Amino acid sequence: MSKALPKRTPLPSKEASLFKELLTLYETRQLKKGLKTADQILKKFPDHGETLCMKGLVLTHMGRREEGIELVKKGVRLDLTSHICWHVFGLIQKADKNYEEALKSYTQALRFDKENMNLLRDSAQLQTHLRLYENLVETRHFILKVRPNQRQNWIALALAHHLNGNPKEAKAVLDHYQRSLKNVPDYDYEHSETLLYYIIILEELGELSEALSVLDTSAKSRAIVDRTAILEFRARLLSKQGAPEAEEAWRALIEHNADNYSSYRGYLSTLGISLESPSSSSEALAKLEELSTQLPRATAPRRLQLTISSGEDFKKFIRPYIVKNLAKGVPSLFTDIKTLYVDAEKRQVIEDLVESLKTEYAKLSSTTPSDATNAEAEPTTYLWTLYFLAQHYSYLNQPTKALELLEEAITHTPTLPELYLCKGRALKRVGDYLGAAKAVNEARFLDGQDRFINTKCGKYLLRAGMVDEATGILGLFTKKDALSPAADLEDMQSLLFLLESGDSYSRLNKPNMALKRYMSVKKVFDEWEDDQFDFHGYNLRKFTISIYLRLLAWEDTLRAHPAYVKAAIEASKIFVKVNDDPTIVTSLTSTSQLTDAEKKAKKKAKKAAASKAQDDKKAQPSAHDPKDLEPPVPKDDDPEGLKLLGCSDPLEQAAKLLHPLVVLAERTLTGEKSKTANEDGKGKGKQEEVDKNVVKNVEVWIAVYDVAIRRSASLSSWTFRVMVDADCSSLFRFSEKLLQAVGALTRASALSPSHPEVHIRIVDLKQRIAAFPQPPPAPIGPVFTESVSKLLPPDEISMERFNSEYLQRHSGEPAKVLAAARVMKVLDAPIGSVEETVFGVFGEGSQLDISTALSALEFLTSTSSSRVDEFRQRCQAKFELSTAFKAPNDLAQLKEQVLAVPLANQADGPAGVLPEDGAN
Amino acid sequence: MNIRLAQVEDLVGMQACNLQNLPENYMMKFWMFHTMTWPQCSFVAEDEKGRIVGYVLAKIDEPSEDDKNEEIHGHVNSISVLRSYRRLGLAKKLMLLSQEAMSSIYQASYVSLHVRKSNKAAIALYRDTLGFEVAKVEKKYYGDGEDALSMKLSLKNS
Repeated sequence: MSKALPKRTPLPSKEASLFKELLTLYETRQLKKGLKTADQILKKFPDHGETLCMKGLVLTHMGRREEGIELVKKGVRLDLTSHICWHVFGLIQKADKNYEEALKSYTQALRFDKENMNLLRDSAQLQTHLRLYENLVETRHFILKVRPNQRQNWIALALAHHLNGNPKEAKAVLDHYQRSLKNVPDYDYEHSETLLYYIIILEELGELSEALSVLDTSAKSRAIVDRTAILEFRARLLSKQGAPEAEEAWRALIEHNADNYSSYRGYLSTLGISLESPSSSSEALAKLEELSTQLPRATAPRRLQLTISSGEDFKKFIRPYIVKNLAKGVPSLFTDIKTLYVDAEKRQVIEDLVESLKTEYAKLSSTTPSDATNAEAEPTTYLWTLYFLAQHYSYLNQPTKALELLEEAITHTPTLPELYLCKGRALKRVGDYLGAAKAVNEARFLDGQDRFINTKCGKYLLRAGMVDEATGILGLFTKKDALSPAADLEDMQSLLFLLESGDSYSRLNKPNMALKRYMSVKKVFDEWEDDQFDFHGYNLRKFTISIYLRLLAWEDTLRAHPAYVKAAIEASKIFVKVNDDPTIVTSLTSTSQLTDAEKKAKKKAKKAAASKAQDDKKAQPSAHDPKDLEPPVPKDDDPEGLKLLGCSDPLEQAAKLLHPLVVLAERTLTGEKSKTANEDGKGKGKQEEVDKNVVKNVEVWIAVYDVAIRRSASLSSWTFRVMVDADCSSLFRFSEKLLQAVGALTRASALSPSHPEVHIRIVDLKQRIAAFPQPPPAPIGPVFTESVSKLLPPDEISMERFNSEYLQRHSGEPAKVLAAARVMKVLDAPIGSVEETVFGVFGEGSQLDISTALSALEFLTSTSSSRVDEFRQRCQAKFELSTAFKAPNDLAQLKEQVLAVPLANQADGPAGVLPEDGAN
Repeated sequence: MNIRLAQVEDLVGMQACNLQNLPENYMMKFWMFHTMTWPQCSFVAEDEKGRIVGYVLAKIDEPSEDDKNEEIHGHVNSISVLRSYRRLGLAKKLMLLSQEAMSSIYQASYVSLHVRKSNKAAIALYRDTLGFEVAKVEKKYYGDGEDALSMKLSLKNS
């Protein structure tokens, strides 16, 4: 191959030195001069590839991106053997976050300049980013061979072996490195970190005694400077060995930080007690008692006593715990102990206790003179008791009791924002979203400088469907020079805002804006994934390897984060919807009615855009290596999300969103352990999150099914025969999707066989198969038929019968009743019986909740049923306090009151006052 | 409340906590950068369910090339505790742990921070509880024009 490449003629000396100058000018970011110099060379040698590439590179930094990229491509074509050309090409691809292609270019470049350190290092960074650990080992090995004198190159090779699943080799490299070390200065942080990394590897290899001895020697010689790490490693290693000294080691850690639960967990495990399945142990309780006496300021031992004790012991411990916290007015007391409620006995003990305290305090505060020194007699103690009980009853679904208590508390002390926040929560629970927002807004009036309350208020307004108002309130704390409050919150990566806002739009039937928000969540995760890139090189230079390993592990399971999972599912639902019914988009774009508030917001956004453009640069805290290589941030050219919604390939978009989840699940199911899982159990924790949020999440698999089955359908419009004969790749893609769909549904069904969404999909699958022109051919045919036969009822059972049996079996479960009604609709049952079935959600003994009732209402509306109002009224009667079923006119009236200034505050509202909290 | 060293897995929660509480916010890379560079001096408080309810984000300032007289010192970038988790002394506990790490691991001779002049509660914590002193006033330090108090606490002999 290489001999066919054209030989390059070197530039004459004048131009050659100009070219050198060009390189320097680029390095020092003197772009204009660089451009001039490049043009000077090109005047005489217009086809000089390297100069063309450099000129292109310069242009990309001067805002002429497209033009620049064209030049680079041209330059590469003209000089395929130049490492400079390939390097430049790689740089551009890297800046574009096209890491795969960038790595290819770097590999080309390295063919022509084997020992170029920049190229080698960049390649290693790309290989790490792409998790190509085998190649990484090669690169690191080569770098070390070229530069054995640099400490970090040794660590880098060890790390590469480690990541590649070969800790043994990693250890060997570090052994070699340590033997070659001379004169390590005292208090060398980098050396200390290296030693800790070495011990991690020993631990992973199971060489616990060796790990301990290295730890102890290095601790004694003070070569490891991180005292806390020494204590932690020791305790963990001793515990693993089952050594009796473990107990003492954990105690030392507890003395160092008496509020770290994991130390207690370790300590108790040496006594044979697991906090996850606590069983009363008098020995453990005694030890905790001893610790709490010894460490009077620590709360952990006292709290742990509550977890592991029971019966009379529990009663003994709970009283002082609650009394003390009520007297101190600790607002989080309820949140703190409600985890104990899984034990019904404990819950009852707590309820009885606090009720009796309430009676006691009520008496005290009316009889004790105000100058009494007894904190329990303080009127605030009574107040916090009411607050606790209100939360307690609200949590236990006794809203009337909770609200009564709160009214009493508010009458007692009208100025405590917590009471209104709590009232908001209680009202939200009963579906009074507007009342809830109103209550939280009242809290905001009591402390307008507190962003916490402000955020809550915004969130509650979003829940109440008041998006514009929410933005206005949240905007009191967002940057004034931002495009809009929403833009600032998006820039600052607020998942809370993006999700709540997306959900709110979704409920308001604005799929365009909802989709825009969900896709912004995806963007945040893309950014977070990308953020690791610089650290592949950076941490090695800093020698902070242990934390870097955790970064990689975190990144590897990042998409299992509940926010990503939720956004991916919701967005893909919308994509599927527009795929099935493209008129959703056209009806939105044609009417495109803006409310007044929206128009105003738009105008304001435009204005702000101008000033924002100037500030864009300084906004980002740049970590290090401030290379301005990133492409400029494009302006929002789709403020309404309509382009997104109207994209030409909704199913492909949805598949892309779900893909990371599928990959994570497959990795789990095939039992492949993350190579970067941590020894101290955190890696395990991440795996549990993947399990819980992805693998065992029915909704994920339903979404995957919905997308895959449609993608296969879009391919199966071909007949199978044509595909077999003419287009094998189509067949392959079709089979792949079809099997993925069936696989996903199988998984969902295994998790929850009678899940309403699973039931609907089984009928869906049956119908789709019936529409196939002929059964899928081999090789997928048999696999497919087998999986399907396990999912579907036998052929002799009609779908109607299948559905009515399902309905009968689950007539007391509203969500399943609704699913049966949906299926009836799909099967073209008469509208009357569909309606009748929907009304079945009110059936005797069924636990209808608001969200199911709302779905049912929405479904009924979509069938153009004449009984929509009747249904709405039934809901209203059932959920007396809820505003979710109010008629639009009534709602409008209620909405007006939400942001009303409370009477008490009409003199001096907090509008726009800046917060004062926190050190910054 | 569980109080411990901040880990990579906590960064999302720390960022969210900050965004909910304070007007000065940062993108993830900023949070990452701090833990990647000084993994031992930022701490978090989490509730029973593992939600981050408070944090301290700190860094170490090394003497710069042109001013060798400057001492190694710690700096608190951001600290906050969710309103609903106040009165538990979390901020104090977080600060003490961070200070200890700055001093013992990085040999910092003092710790510094900025606080809004109007933030009485925070100033009381730093000055009265933790022993900070006002080093100087920085005019219009904050985006909205408010002055900052630059406060310091010596970590020697502690």
